[in-house]
Amino acid sequence: MSGAVRGIKENWIVGVVGVAYAVSALLSVPKTGRAATVGVATFVELLPTLVTVFIFVGLFQVWVSDEFVIKHLGEGSGAKGLALGAALGTVIHGPLIGVFPLLKSLLAKGARVGVVVAIVSTWAIKLPMIPLEVRLFGWRFAALREGLLLASAFMMATVMELALGDQWKPPDDVALTMPAGGRTIDV
Amino acid sequence: MLLAMAAAGLLLSALKDRKKTKQALRIGARQFRHVLPFFVAIFAAIGLLQSWVTADQVQAVLGSDRGIFAPVLAAVIGGLATGPPAAVFPLGRQLLAQDASTGAVATLLMAWVAVGTVTLPAEIRYFGTRFAVTRWALTLVLSIALGMVMGWIL
Repeated sequence: MSGAVRGIKENWIVGVVGVAYAVSALLSVPKTGRAATVGVATFVELLPTLVTVFIFVGLFQVWVSDEFVIKHLGEGSGAKGLALGAALGTVIHGPLIGVFPLLKSLLAKGARVGVVVAIVSTWAIKLPMIPLEVRLFGWRFAALREGLLLASAFMMATVMELALGDQWKPPDDVALTMPAGGRTIDV
Repeated sequence: MLLAMAAAGLLLSALKDRKKTKQALRIGARQFRHVLPFFVAIFAAIGLLQSWVTADQVQAVLGSDRGIFAPVLAAVIGGLATGPPAAVFPLGRQLLAQDASTGAVATLLMAWVAVGTVTLPAEIRYFGTRFAVTRWALTLVLSIALGMVMGWIL
């Protein structure tokens, strides 16, 4: 595929959002202005997280061996691997989209699908936010919600692994090679 | 704090092996550049959504609905309107005060964070259509089920 075609295919969302903004501006200019402001503000707020994530992606690529990931989060890691994933999901924070790159490199290093699903599934639990939740909704609500979500992470992981099957692999769309000759993935 | 952690990680890495650290930074920077337009577009979409779907509207729809299908409605709304957990907690609290059902609020809290319809394109790009769509659908169903269970227990 030529570079231009690939660029369009990968960034079609940019066009879609552009059209959506045009339609929105036709309907209401002030609302569209507010939308742009919110978008920029959210992005700026997230920028430190994104920078951090990509630094970690880089460090992770270079330092963490495939063997290590496979051993702790790979096929043979069983329930322990899932539990580790579920725990990770509750402590990393920021919007889910911010960690997709990191999750992708986990997969590329041999983590099993279920672990990634477990991380995503416990995303609605945020350890630092629990006091706030208890204050707003009471401890019964909070405890029940956290408990159900944790249990569901294991369920989701199992169901997803079944649904995708053994042969499933994440797409390696932008396969650029490492400048220094090493093996890499592009996320 | 996260940045400090990354900086510490980089420092440690640099002390151990400068060449590898440089390589790590190069990998990170290249991938960052690569997805930047994509992320900007997603955030623009989030802005658009937040400006057209306001908290007041969510409240108007969910505020007084106590029926058995309230969680379904909450899942649809929560799944569309993605945002940080910190934003949805106060909204949920307000909904409860307005007599919304516990199940609907519980569903909203989960769907809001985990379903992620706006970020679906990003997920497809990273993990493929099959993974993303399966996860999206399962999470949607699950948030409804969990909301119903919670409404029933509490």
